[in-house]
Amino acid sequence: MTTPGLTQVLLAGILVVIAIAVARYWRLPVIKDMAFGSVRGFVQLVAVGYAVRFIFDIESPWLIMLALGIMMTVGAHAASGRVKSVKGSFGTCLAAILTGSLITLATMLVFKIISFDARYIIPLAGMIIGNSMNASALVIDRLASDLRANRLAIETALALGKSWREASQKFHRDAARTGMVAMLNFLKTVGIVALPGAMTGMILAGADPVEAVLLQVIVAYMLLSATTITSVVAVELTIRRFFTRHHQLRIDR
Amino acid sequence: MAVTGSILELCNLTRRVGDGTPARAIVDNFSYSFGFGRLYSIIGPSGAGKSSLLRLLNRLDECTDGSVKFKGSDTREFAPCELRQRLGYLFQTPHLFDRTVRDNIVDAQPHLSESKISRLIQQVQLPSGIVDAPVDNLSVGERQRVALARLLATQPEVALLDEPTAALDPANTEAIERLISSVVTDHGVTVVMVSHSRQQVVRLGGEAILMVDGQLIEHGDAVGLVKNPGTPQGRRYMNGEPQ
Ligand SMILES: Nc1ncnc2c1ncn2[C@@H]1O[C@H](COP(=O)(O)OP(=O)(O)OP(=O)(O)O)[C@@H](O)[C@H]1O
Ligand SMILES: [Mg+2]
Repeated sequence: MTTPGLTQVLLAGILVVIAIAVARYWRLPVIKDMAFGSVRGFVQLVAVGYAVRFIFDIESPWLIMLALGIMMTVGAHAASGRVKSVKGSFGTCLAAILTGSLITLATMLVFKIISFDARYIIPLAGMIIGNSMNASALVIDRLASDLRANRLAIETALALGKSWREASQKFHRDAARTGMVAMLNFLKTVGIVALPGAMTGMILAGADPVEAVLLQVIVAYMLLSATTITSVVAVELTIRRFFTRHHQLRIDR
Repeated sequence: MAVTGSILELCNLTRRVGDGTPARAIVDNFSYSFGFGRLYSIIGPSGAGKSSLLRLLNRLDECTDGSVKFKGSDTREFAPCELRQRLGYLFQTPHLFDRTVRDNIVDAQPHLSESKISRLIQQVQLPSGIVDAPVDNLSVGERQRVALARLLATQPEVALLDEPTAALDPANTEAIERLISSVVTDHGVTVVMVSHSRQQVVRLGGEAILMVDGQLIEHGDAVGLVKNPGTPQGRRYMNGEPQ
């Protein structure tokens, strides 16, 4: 395969046409979404491609920071949109994603695993933020629904004189775990069932497979760290919205 | 700290809920004093606010107005966890944690000796073999009694019981009523109990309080209040008429 150009992309459009034809034959009510989504995806990706190229060319640390800030805000917005029933979830998601991403990136920089270079920071941050975004949405959703469904159990523990933390312990642990499950499953099957994206990309781009694998291991550890921190922060911030400082459950939040 | 004649003193206690204008008062300007080591029955129609009132006493909910004093001090001056240990609360629909009967009791009161556990089980009229049974196999009435045993294990100074015999048959009801009486007379615990049954209130004696629409309508000697209510609402309630 040659490095793809516009011709190849347009030819790949044949695949979209096949998919739409199949959907049409089966009368799947998704044809509009497929057509619109394909175009939209194309436009978004091309725009991002140019934006990233621009950032690479300028090589300004401020521009990198700005890009990270925008990515995290958009990620937090998308995550909180998935948990609308919990008030203030945007702030929670932003703080959780921010903490998980920054600690992880800072560690990688401090130990010189990567250098402060747009070429590394931007794509790695993209992976981190994407995973943290999913983790925070899953954690908040799980925690809120568990607390709402287990009101009597929690209040029974409170009535026996337990603190809010003891009374809801089981639920924060379960929720934090929910945010990490995707990562843990990924680590179990990685390389056996699926070849992860970063590695696939490097191999397609002509890199040595062993080199690609090493990078993938770093990526996996990085995502493990980011999703764990994000999950815990999301739990800690969300749980506080459900209790008053007098150890009372307030489920209407 | 001045200990007055009452263990719990409710002063204009009010809880408003919802954001309607005016917000609805589910407990409305409720003032009353509970004495040491006595038995009180709260009666009133469904939705009167009986459970809501109990939840204000151990501060599971916050009042919007007024105050509750426990042994002379505002309950807001106590650490909530300590307050709730001293004012035990039995929920109308008790919840047991998903393990054995013993685990539930020990969870509430660690370091409880085996003989104390057996004694509690016996007190609430459960067979001794039940201690190691997983709670999900228990009947509703058995669960209610395990929850009562768990509450007694913590040795509260006040026991707030929300319809403790609602799920029991007559024989068990009577046994639990005897237990409640003995908790009051032998252990000096103040019991504030919600009841739906006028006969039960008469059997237990003590004081009775009639609550309608969040308000205290009348109170007095249990037998007198049930047999000879002094207010129109009281007469309607005792005759089983709608309020
Ligand atoms: N948090 C809340 N928000 C809104 N309304 C509430 C809230 N808690 C209780 N209520 C309402 O307050 C009223 C009193 O409820 P409560 O459970 O105290 O009644 P009750 O006297 O215990 O009734 P029952 O005998 O059926 O148990 C009910 O109409 C209930 O719907
Ligand atoms: Mg009730």
